[in-house]
Amino acid sequence: MEIEIISFGKISEFISNQKITIDCGTTDELKTHLENIFPQLAGMKYKLALNKNLVQQNSEIKNSDSIAIMPPFSGG
Amino acid sequence: MNTERYQRQIILGGFGIESQQRLTEAKVLVIGAGGLGCPALQYLVAAGVGCIGIADHDVVELSNLQRQVLFGMDDIGLSKAEVAAKRLQQMNPETELILHPILVDRTNVAEIISGYDLIFDGTDNFESRYLINDACVLLKKPLVFAAVSGFEGQIAIFNVANELGISTNYRDLFPFQPGANEIPNCAENGVLGVLPGIIGTMAAGEIIKLLTKIGKPLINKLLHYNLLSQEQYEINISPSDEYQKVTTEAELMNNNIENPIQSYIEIDAERMMELSKKDSTLIIDVRERHEFPRLNANTFQQVPMSEFDRFASSNIKADHIVLLCQHGIRSVAAAEKLHQKYGDTKRIYSLKGGITKWRNHFLTF
Repeated sequence: MEIEIISFGKISEFISNQKITIDCGTTDELKTHLENIFPQLAGMKYKLALNKNLVQQNSEIKNSDSIAIMPPFSGG
Repeated sequence: MNTERYQRQIILGGFGIESQQRLTEAKVLVIGAGGLGCPALQYLVAAGVGCIGIADHDVVELSNLQRQVLFGMDDIGLSKAEVAAKRLQQMNPETELILHPILVDRTNVAEIISGYDLIFDGTDNFESRYLINDACVLLKKPLVFAAVSGFEGQIAIFNVANELGISTNYRDLFPFQPGANEIPNCAENGVLGVLPGIIGTMAAGEIIKLLTKIGKPLINKLLHYNLLSQEQYEINISPSDEYQKVTTEAELMNNNIENPIQSYIEIDAERMMELSKKDSTLIIDVRERHEFPRLNANTFQQVPMSEFDRFASSNIKADHIVLLCQHGIRSVAAAEKLHQKYGDTKRIYSLKGGITKWRNHFLTF
């Protein structure tokens, strides 16, 4: 299925906003998948949002869902 | 209150003298008089917030002037809190300004914030942000959070219940403080001066909305702003069960929150059982195969210490790894090995006291 990836901050430097085709059905599987393709992600703190809702537990992904990948910001 | 000064906002439909009165009665603490704090302070003072605390221990530097618009050349080397207060008092003598020209740290945070109705976090480092968040959770203070990185900003409101009575805090968003060097700060990463100007001003808008109860403040929402594209992206924040809230001032002062920077975390059996419910948790029994009691192999994967190095060199997928043994001593050694390999990317736990201490809990698995 195809999903939309939206990234922020430092993460957008190595994952651009794009539509990707995946064969994983859950957010946990997607995390593993993304960390395999983008090894920088594995060493960072980040959070996913599925269709603009923060992912707090493993959730099912459906075709054409949007996934946001957000790092924390500290600057002031 | 001089109503002529505030006339342009008092005449607004939905604002009026009642809202102005609420601003006059409010006590707001701004922590960090920097890129975010300066514009927020300017608009809060101009709008007529009755009492504003300014907490910043830094002095003005030349490299601040590109974004910290309350300061000028003559102020270099002077206290930011004091210079800001002087400027702001000229802008509006009706606002009472309280100076805290000290570093807000574990020893003083609760005392400082306890005197205010609402806290604005405009600091520039994670240590302060987690500390301020935890103190606001403990003291149930509304917290307006703003932060920037490069050309992007984040704003959120914490510790304010929505219509369903649900409130969230920064740890619901990012439960644990990133390690040093994991996420760059402005000094390393750079920031376009106008960005904290925009984000700090948006934060002042949220503060005014909260204080006067107008509009829809960003309660339980994280707003992302991108200066380059002018795009905004709003995310709904829900409570997380990944961390334990600070419940006493002593905990706050001792930083007892589970923190991955401390390599591994010693937990009790109840926490282990909570973790065991997550799909992303792996529980490992590091005792040798001849030891008793034998545990349910479906829940507890057995990896004896004698085979542990080989296991540690394999690629473990779980995000949470709980180690246990008979007395909780070997499991600490195993936790250290895993932390050496995975650093802060995985949460590693050791069952304190081991199976001996929590024997009854193992009967229920």
